[in-house]
Amino acid sequence: MRGLQLSLNQTQKLRLQRALDQLESLSSKANSNASVAVADTIPVNYEDCVLKGHGTLELDGEVVATLCGVVERVNKLVYVRTLRARYKPETGDIIVGRVTEIAPKRWRLDINFSQDAVLMLSSMNLPDGIQRRRTAVDELNMRSIFEENDIVCAEVRGFQHDGSLHLQARSQKYGKLERGQVLTISPYLVKRRKQHLHYLEEFGVDLILGCNGFIWVGEHVEAKGTLIEDQTDKAEQLNTKSSSSTFMSLEEQERTYTSLETRQNICRIANAVRVLANLGFSVTVEVIKETVYLSSSLNLDIHEMLGSEFYVLVAEGEATRKSMFTKKKG
Amino acid sequence: MEFVSPEGLRLDGRRPMEMRQIRGEIGAVAKADGSAFFEMGNTKVIAAVYGPREVENRSQQISDQALVRCEYTMANFSTGDRVRKPKGDRRSTEISLVIRQTMEACILTHLMPRSQIDIFVQVLQADGGTRSACINAATLALADAGIPMRDLVTSCSAGYLNSTPLLDLNYVEDSAGGPDVTVGILPKLDKVTLLQMDAKLPMDIFENVMQLAIEGCKAIANYIRELLLENTKQLEYRRGP
Amino acid sequence: MVGLSVGEKHFIQGGIAQDLRTDGRRRLTYRPFNVETGVIPQANGSARVRLGGTDVIASVKAELGKPSPSQPDKGKVNIYVDCSPTAAPMFEGRGGEELSTELSGALQHCLLGGKSGAGAGIDLSSLVVVEGKVCWDLYIDGLVVSSDGNLLDALGAAIKAALTNTGIPKVEVAVGASGDGLPEVDISDDEYLQFDTSGVPVIVTLTKVGRHYIVDATLEEESQMSSAVSVSVSGQGRICGLIKRGGAGLDPSVILDMISVAKHVSEQLMNKLDSEISAAEACEEES
Repeated sequence: MRGLQLSLNQTQKLRLQRALDQLESLSSKANSNASVAVADTIPVNYEDCVLKGHGTLELDGEVVATLCGVVERVNKLVYVRTLRARYKPETGDIIVGRVTEIAPKRWRLDINFSQDAVLMLSSMNLPDGIQRRRTAVDELNMRSIFEENDIVCAEVRGFQHDGSLHLQARSQKYGKLERGQVLTISPYLVKRRKQHLHYLEEFGVDLILGCNGFIWVGEHVEAKGTLIEDQTDKAEQLNTKSSSSTFMSLEEQERTYTSLETRQNICRIANAVRVLANLGFSVTVEVIKETVYLSSSLNLDIHEMLGSEFYVLVAEGEATRKSMFTKKKG
Repeated sequence: MEFVSPEGLRLDGRRPMEMRQIRGEIGAVAKADGSAFFEMGNTKVIAAVYGPREVENRSQQISDQALVRCEYTMANFSTGDRVRKPKGDRRSTEISLVIRQTMEACILTHLMPRSQIDIFVQVLQADGGTRSACINAATLALADAGIPMRDLVTSCSAGYLNSTPLLDLNYVEDSAGGPDVTVGILPKLDKVTLLQMDAKLPMDIFENVMQLAIEGCKAIANYIRELLLENTKQLEYRRGP
Repeated sequence: MVGLSVGEKHFIQGGIAQDLRTDGRRRLTYRPFNVETGVIPQANGSARVRLGGTDVIASVKAELGKPSPSQPDKGKVNIYVDCSPTAAPMFEGRGGEELSTELSGALQHCLLGGKSGAGAGIDLSSLVVVEGKVCWDLYIDGLVVSSDGNLLDALGAAIKAALTNTGIPKVEVAVGASGDGLPEVDISDDEYLQFDTSGVPVIVTLTKVGRHYIVDATLEEESQMSSAVSVSVSGQGRICGLIKRGGAGLDPSVILDMISVAKHVSEQLMNKLDSEISAAEACEEES
């Protein structure tokens, strides 16, 4: 099992297997023969004209899959929805990326796509006013907004004519993410929803489920009043930080650390995401919260969440939850 | 030396047309985009695929297709006699090239322009047929990474010893000095993409040996397809609706 | 190389200072680990150790050789480590060489002891077949298949497990063989001698980040280290080797402190490892 190198004892093995079997039986009713492997023929009705979509290829009049995944049909379109793969961007997706390079008027970001994405300086809201022209000074100050390796939340703007992928961050909810950790999971485990930026009030934690499989778990940052202040504030903060960090004594640094309580919440949530992703379950806010509650109700230490017993419990929980759900529906 | 006993059994107890036990496992390296473990008898290899990702060296970037790279390495302990070989010796370079060309031919590289795909194959234990095992592992790893391919590529070898065509040679049979035909096929398209033979062999016998190897490839293709399908189903039902 | 933003670095350092690391561990907690033995049937002994995202294989091959003239009563042990490119594209070509050399060197320090062979974690005199004439040469090879920090501890554990798994063929020496020529030896095919590994040490690496030190650092945590001290401790609680890596200087009192902590941690690690090894051995016999 991927990423699951657990030493399970005999009973745990059986329990995990039973939970997974239960999940299998629940889904098999829906679409059992829609799964394909590479080079499988996809049955289509040739009398309708079929539109061959992503992951398909025509070969001697047959439609053949070029990927492993699940066949989806929308009207005339037939395509293969991949499971494990790199991120496939769609316009409007909210993503989390890491800055790899600062180029003239643009940043390049690693977003787990086949190329780095581009965030133009002109697609960013700058300190004073949205409509202002970008000046040469702005260009020189780009590093004070984002520098290499910074974690940035942005939105997919779309592909340009030259085939490059562009991002935009024209809202105060986007921007640099600090004081927290990034987890990388397979993008198919994150579902596209209305909300990807979550503020979990009870924990004081911001959770961003990036469509590209980068998950941000960090200390909650209060959305500041207007953009103008927000940005200048940030720039100033950064300036003071970068200039003084070398002089700041260890004690001073320690005072600015995330509070222990918030940190515990962040780690608990992060471990919940790790467990779910390793088991291959979809990662949604609801399930993450449930997993967190489960771990707290068991009085587990945070690091014990990555032990075998908790994995089995989460799998069993998922099986029960799904079967309840199907019963309700049925 | 006698490689096929009068009862028609080989040194390791197989029949001439019998393949060694094969076993594949998807997801051997957690951090890679795709990875697989593949075993043919005592030959064990791990393949890891990184990418498609931004090209590291801009000058190598190809504007209309992906750059495919491959490196084949053998662990120090992989062979029977322990030899410490320097990295990048000629044999490794040659096999890297063979694997790269074979895999590149089936990856739909034009769908991922200006990106880079790295295939790393690591031999853990060598007992004949490492090339074939590496190609089979690489196919699994590429499929696991969700990289679009024309077809699966599978490979198997066959030889000819004691006037008998033998499928899937192990190390002892391989080093007997007889001909060794390594074949790679695209099972759906029914085409041969890789063919290597050393030593001489009459035409008609060669045809038989090659046919035997192709049959072996097809058997492996069936196994790999089942494995991938099973894996896909598992991923899907775990993820849920 | 791991690239981390200023914010992430700060978060990691803060976690270490507050004794709650990014995955919820305390400073002196190891990640869950898992041992599998006999993974390379062609070797005399082998083991695979997975420690979180780190995955290493160690194999032991025994060959008959001649003891060195200066130490006629001791066998020879060689340790080499290779980093497979499967672990990271960075290790491609000669990219992994530097790290491989560093790890090989550190393991030799920690397990083999000095030139005289005294104090070695592995008992070299048990490898001699005929004094001054024939001895076993052990080739221990490590391979890093996947890397997520703390490679040294993982390799150390894998080597210990591989040695436990090792069976050295029993050798009969033809009686009466004397003189200068090599004595005739008869290597038994079915009789194996088990290696006594109770004395083989475990390696505990303490990574110093900020004012504190942690065990079993992940790759991200390692990128924040100022220095690291690896201590190999035998089952009897003796220090068999020690190596300090990383640029920053350490106060001697801190080093002594770290050693005593490492010694304490090693007891738990040793127990855990021993139980994992015996479980793995039992599992191998079953299959």
